[in-house]
Amino acid sequence: MALLEVNHLSIGYQTAKGLLRAVDDVSFAVDAGQSLGLVGESGCGKTTIGMALMGLLPPNGSIVGGNVVLDGQDLSGLDEADLRQRRWRDIAMIFQAAMNALNPVQRVGEQIVEAILTHKPELEREEALHQVEGLYQLVGLPVGRMHDFPHQYSGGMKQRAVIAMALALNPKVIIADEPTTALDVIVQDQILKETKELQKEFNIAIIFISHDISIVSEVCEMIGVMYAGQMVERGTTREVLGQPRHPYTQALLNSFPALGGPRRPLRPIPGEPPLLIGRRFGCRFCDRCPVPASSCKLEPPELVQVGETHFVRCDNV
Amino acid sequence: MSAKDQITVPTPPRRNPWRERLLDNWRVFHQNPLGRIGLILLVVFAVMAMVSVVPPLIDPMYHPMTGVDPEVMQSSAPSWRHWLGTDFMGRDILSQLLAGTRVAFMVGVSAAFMSIALGVSVGMVSGYLGGWTDIILMRLSEIIMVMPTLLVVLMLAALFGKLGIWTIVLMIAFFRWPGVARVIRAQTLSLKGRPFIDAARVAGASHTRIVFRHIMPNVLPLAFLYMTFRVTGAIIIEAALAFLGFGDPGTVSWGMMLQWVWKTGHMFQAPWWLLPPGLCISLLTLSFYMLGRAMDEVLDPRLRDQSR
Amino acid sequence: MTRYVINRLVQIVVILFMILTILFVLFRLAPGDPVARMVDPNMTPEDAARLIAQLGLDLPIWRQYLTYLGNCLTGNFGHSFHYGLPVLEIIGQRLPNTILLFSTGVLLSAVAGIAWGKLAAWNKGKATDLWLTVASLITHTLFLPWLALLLIWVFGYKLDWFPINGMISDEVWLDPDSGVLLKAWDVAYHMILPLGTLFIMHFGAYLLVMRSSMLETLKEDYIITARAKGLTEKAIRNHHAAPNAWLPVVTSVGLSLAFSINGGALTETVFSWPGIGRELVFAVSQNDYPLAQASFLLVASVVLISNLVVDVLYAYLDPRIRY
Repeated sequence: MALLEVNHLSIGYQTAKGLLRAVDDVSFAVDAGQSLGLVGESGCGKTTIGMALMGLLPPNGSIVGGNVVLDGQDLSGLDEADLRQRRWRDIAMIFQAAMNALNPVQRVGEQIVEAILTHKPELEREEALHQVEGLYQLVGLPVGRMHDFPHQYSGGMKQRAVIAMALALNPKVIIADEPTTALDVIVQDQILKETKELQKEFNIAIIFISHDISIVSEVCEMIGVMYAGQMVERGTTREVLGQPRHPYTQALLNSFPALGGPRRPLRPIPGEPPLLIGRRFGCRFCDRCPVPASSCKLEPPELVQVGETHFVRCDNV
Repeated sequence: MSAKDQITVPTPPRRNPWRERLLDNWRVFHQNPLGRIGLILLVVFAVMAMVSVVPPLIDPMYHPMTGVDPEVMQSSAPSWRHWLGTDFMGRDILSQLLAGTRVAFMVGVSAAFMSIALGVSVGMVSGYLGGWTDIILMRLSEIIMVMPTLLVVLMLAALFGKLGIWTIVLMIAFFRWPGVARVIRAQTLSLKGRPFIDAARVAGASHTRIVFRHIMPNVLPLAFLYMTFRVTGAIIIEAALAFLGFGDPGTVSWGMMLQWVWKTGHMFQAPWWLLPPGLCISLLTLSFYMLGRAMDEVLDPRLRDQSR
Repeated sequence: MTRYVINRLVQIVVILFMILTILFVLFRLAPGDPVARMVDPNMTPEDAARLIAQLGLDLPIWRQYLTYLGNCLTGNFGHSFHYGLPVLEIIGQRLPNTILLFSTGVLLSAVAGIAWGKLAAWNKGKATDLWLTVASLITHTLFLPWLALLLIWVFGYKLDWFPINGMISDEVWLDPDSGVLLKAWDVAYHMILPLGTLFIMHFGAYLLVMRSSMLETLKEDYIITARAKGLTEKAIRNHHAAPNAWLPVVTSVGLSLAFSINGGALTETVFSWPGIGRELVFAVSQNDYPLAQASFLLVASVVLISNLVVDVLYAYLDPRIRY
């Protein structure tokens, strides 16, 4: 049994136009020390999955099918108070720091202390502060900057602070949602490397959410490709990158430059993802698929096993 | 869409996009409960203002200022003859109240209109020209903005004696433009950077033309919104001045009615006299205020509540 | 910070200087004899002559201006006709009363407005929100003198709970046995109705600003962070949403100060509260120009300095602002 299991998870948002199925029948599992990358265009449901794992869906969103099992316990059965206890202690999140993830009027160190003291009320403030010092050293931030405000930090420093905050309670799972998107390439590279080292050191499971498949492939052992709320391909990085079976994965790989790979022309994917409201028939990628078959429009494709850990949701394999 | 094209329905004449937008805005506005209540109240007051000419025609004793009921000659409670009673001299309170509505509308709308006109001009000039003009105008507006208008007008009354109603209107207009000017300036600055202004300039349009033909139509909706808030302010200041005894002695305004009931010591005995004028001032300002807030939501789609 | 405050103080002095100049010019432009406006008609000719010399009213216009500026600078605003006392003495007595009433009123309504606005935003769409919003819309647009008269009528006259005018009762203050506490209580007792008027008039504006600001803040990413950290809803509201949301409220307090001081003057007048605002109204109605001028200058200074205080407070609350 894996540390975190997501089984046939479906999530819907109640909107004025009807139920929007943002996530549809998604399954994956992550073990301690492993990392899974969720890749896809914006709006494909990857962030929604992250929020659902944290139990932080917005008021109009809810899990409409499947479940999330952490350490053998079904999270969807917990009430709000239990869920709050487990947040950050069991599953923490690395937010995109450029997006105002830190409270602008509170000192950065204080925001980490707050997280610690909320879950360990028995600790003295001094001890919590001491722990924060340790975290600062861990992520390579100068301890003297603990009492600064977020606006006094650079983008990279803020990102490190957010990582330190995520590590504060030794969580089992960390969800990293586009953690390096707004940073320049050099800082991005450093932070990714350090994150990986920290993950190995503390044996944490990481779910890495990004639109950039090249970044994900550098950091993660496993990749799940999301399209229009569904996971269309899942497998180890080697499997998915080596033999991409789904046409969308192939298109995605062609639309990004490979770091250090051979030069090749980049091909954007024509068209746009479908709207997710109402009933739909057939394969969701059909309209943009370069190799559609006539049956694709009628029957939704099932998840097919094509390798040891390699699954594809396409009838053409 | 395509089905409609196939059937040979005579296509309706293309509707004016301005009208379309107006209708659209009206729909949003109409759905807003604040706007609806405000509008209904406003219509009631407008009718009151129009009716105000009627009582003196029925009988000169109903004239709000000079008409005295010879049989009463003092404050009396509501009766068939005087629906809201009479004041300390025996004048009809209802006719005074109606006349006051007319004065309030006049003061409010004209002062607001003038201060908006001034504010829009200053704002556009300041934002469009920039440089020293901008710095000086904005400094000036900062100074005027922090001045308590009522007390400033009071000070002018100290210097020049009793002020006529139009002087009061002018004074209110003069001291209430900075807020508008600053908003319009910001709007102008953002418009100035847009491509269509550059295009007009390249096409050889003069500054005057750019300001009046291209910038003004875009800032006017915002100016209109501010006007409703300025009406509120103007009505309150005029009423307060009249209440303090510095109103135009030749007009009957709600503030003045309150001053009479207060100064003649009738406020404890004559609730029918104390209540109506204050209620009217409060309700009229409330209706303009609600109208403004509703318009705010129409003009600023960000404020619109999507989930409802 | 110190530099900023000094800068602003210099600006305030410049503005006051401009106001003085404008008043000087208007004073000469106004119809009637300037001497008659400054010199009490009841004075003996010798006293009048001395005062004219002191005010420089017999000098050429530019020397008059200099004398006027010099007099204002040294606090010599002339004699009040009505009281027959130096103006400075009178307004010096009134100023603390105004500051007491006005600052208590603004502070109380701001605190309540912020607290209730927070509550309304947190319960958006529920009954609490509706009632608070409607109440503040209505109270905010009431006509202040009318509200004051109503309060006097109901609580002062019908119910006879509170005194309806003045600031102190003679029997308490003339009694040598009354202690400080009793005197303070007496003032507070007199202050309840005027304070209530200011409070009812002003909390609504702050409530509405706080409510919409809070709703905006709740959409921010750091609120999601706070929630993800497992904080309780109360902690999220009080430690993360509110401290960010009240920044616009502070700005609006600053912008509405001029409006509030209008209301302050009206309140003082209706309740006969011995403050600067009432003195100004009184002086204008009595044609007591020296007193009116000095009161006006003082009110203007109070507004300008309060604005400075608000800006400093803002900088204190928002670490991103550094002057």
